[in-house]
Amino acid sequence: MFVYQCEDSLEGIFTAIYNVYEDRHTPEETRLSLGDELLLFAEYVPVTPDLEKAEKVIRTLKRQFGEEDYYRICLALAAPDAEKAQAVYQTIAAGLAGKCRPEHMLDNLADQYVHHTFSLWRGARREYDHLRGFLRFEELGEGILYARISPKNHLLTFLMSHFADRFPAENFVIQDVGRKLWGIHPAVSAENRENGWYVAQLGEDSEAFYAMERLSNMERSEKERACQQLFGYFCQKIAIRERRNLELQRNMLPLRFREYMTEFQKNLSGMDGKPASDI
Amino acid sequence: MEFLAAGQEMSVMEKLGILTDAAKYDVACTSSGVDRKGNGRSMGNCAASGICHSFSSDGRCISLLKILLTNECIYDCKYCINRCSNDVPRATFTPEEVCTLTMEFYKRNYIEGLFLSSGILGNPTYTMELIFRTLWLLRRKYGFNGYIHVKAIPGADGEIIRRTGYLADRMSVNLELPTAEGLKNLAPNKHRKNILTPMRQIQNHIHESRYDLAVYRNAPKFVAGGQSTQMIIGATGESDYQIMGVAESLYRKFELKRVFYSAFVRVNEDKSLPALPGGPPLLREHRLYQADWLLRFYGFSAEELLSEDRPFFNVMLDPKEDWAVRHLEQFPVEINRAPYERLLRVPGIGVNSARRIVAARRSGNLRFGDMKKMGVVMKRAVYFVTCNGKMMYPTKLDEDYIVRGLTSEKDRIRFGSDGMTYRQMSLFDDAGFQRQIQPEEALGAAVGQL
Repeated sequence: MFVYQCEDSLEGIFTAIYNVYEDRHTPEETRLSLGDELLLFAEYVPVTPDLEKAEKVIRTLKRQFGEEDYYRICLALAAPDAEKAQAVYQTIAAGLAGKCRPEHMLDNLADQYVHHTFSLWRGARREYDHLRGFLRFEELGEGILYARISPKNHLLTFLMSHFADRFPAENFVIQDVGRKLWGIHPAVSAENRENGWYVAQLGEDSEAFYAMERLSNMERSEKERACQQLFGYFCQKIAIRERRNLELQRNMLPLRFREYMTEFQKNLSGMDGKPASDI
Repeated sequence: MEFLAAGQEMSVMEKLGILTDAAKYDVACTSSGVDRKGNGRSMGNCAASGICHSFSSDGRCISLLKILLTNECIYDCKYCINRCSNDVPRATFTPEEVCTLTMEFYKRNYIEGLFLSSGILGNPTYTMELIFRTLWLLRRKYGFNGYIHVKAIPGADGEIIRRTGYLADRMSVNLELPTAEGLKNLAPNKHRKNILTPMRQIQNHIHESRYDLAVYRNAPKFVAGGQSTQMIIGATGESDYQIMGVAESLYRKFELKRVFYSAFVRVNEDKSLPALPGGPPLLREHRLYQADWLLRFYGFSAEELLSEDRPFFNVMLDPKEDWAVRHLEQFPVEINRAPYERLLRVPGIGVNSARRIVAARRSGNLRFGDMKKMGVVMKRAVYFVTCNGKMMYPTKLDEDYIVRGLTSEKDRIRFGSDGMTYRQMSLFDDAGFQRQIQPEEALGAAVGQL
């Protein structure tokens, strides 16, 4: 048994997959591991992330399985799961060996690894779908939109590309509170023609971290507060009293998302201290 | 011609309150059907699946900024809160106000776009012009590229409806009530013919637009998300059979994307409206949506589900279970062999799980354990399927036995009791009804009054 120990990132896991093929090990005798678990009679192979190797794997994946399935693998690898590297590797190996057609990689759900990858993808995909809607921006001074999220899956990059497409002409920042990551998108303008974005990880004692903290704690403008109030009021008014059903609301919009959502803030003035959800 | 006079001094907050209140009985709040990438300059894109941005305390999704342009109305429809004989506060948004609200809300990711409806101000054509003006401003001046759902006002000039359609993603004409007779009783100013005319017109324009697109790649799209309609359930005496018949012909003859059903909420006191002591007929609405899904995605027809002799849906069983127990000669279905269409008709198997089964069985025989992984609801499917020729448990293929099995579970609803919960229909799973024990019942049980 060969255990490849890789870093928890797309680059790390894809590099490990490249190395497995380079070393000509079969899937049965190989295991990809993210942690430091120890197995008896196993040979440990440390993996150093290598961009070039990862890109080669990405190219192969896209060619063999199609863009859609490649995207699914990326989402599955965004899940917080210790076994994800192993599941994805085995799924890919089975797909390559079985010559599966593009976009059919996750068909064979009876296989345990495929099913695992599939459920990771589905979980991440659901949370991504939720957050696309439930994320809320606040306008800070100087026209910067600022949002906070703390998702279970590592979705910041996916959300950044969604919102960059949606708001090309806005400066916006999305903070992943739990992972201490900031996604930053500068607005497209005459000087900056490229609609790009980047992700920064800031240590708690760095200067940039304090700058970010200061920015997010800035007093909200009059206009911003008016907007929040208007939306809170709208959410109250749109509900039909005769159909009131808080359980249904909770099923559709789980409580964990509400922490950062404008309409569920208790101090939204003009609401008599009640969150807008509750009339 | 200027009908905008009173109510101009109101604040945007007050107007938003009044005009949201007036729009909330409109059902459609979907933002689906259009996949449009951002254009790299102005704000907005659309996702084909639609995006829900919030859920209000009635559990309905908030996806679009759903407002009326005005709640002034010249009509006197008896079921409507905005009927002209009602003494309610009236307000009218200016097109600029609607645009600003939409842009500011959209920027903060509160909403997916705009849902604009309106009462009739002055006359239908004038109202439609106001709506057109608003949409034009929003698209052209503010460069809004998100989702817009707009109502076509029956009786408005055809040309203005056509122009509006090129700016909107979805258009809808309200059918209001399922039959012409009901319409005559409750909406004396509206006529069936006037409602169906714009519906047909929109359908024809969609066809033309498709043809144009085939010839010129960059031709503008007319109502890219298709058209929808809605009708009120339970205000007049139609049977479910009639309603499903109407819905089916709307899907077939008018190629609608969606038909929405709205449980009647009694907002006005009027002798021709039914009294609803138990609240709005939510269970009936739920059954109609279930049946609607069966029509659109499961290959059922209205005749299969209901008939003249059985004009109403079963309250205990959902329409598919009901159909299945009456057609036991078609069961059990062999999971590893049955064609996709047969799988779809098994209770507990949905569109997604049927697809997954068909895809997965190419690689090998499936077992019952695998069913669950595909998302099949086994507690329902178990009576109707075999795997490699065997049933999961020794069950009888007997109508009474199966009905008892399907309804005896504790999480089944009991008709007429309080505390029923409903949820928005989804393609993926079952509704998971739950009923809690009421305090009075607990007391009754304790003192032996069951």
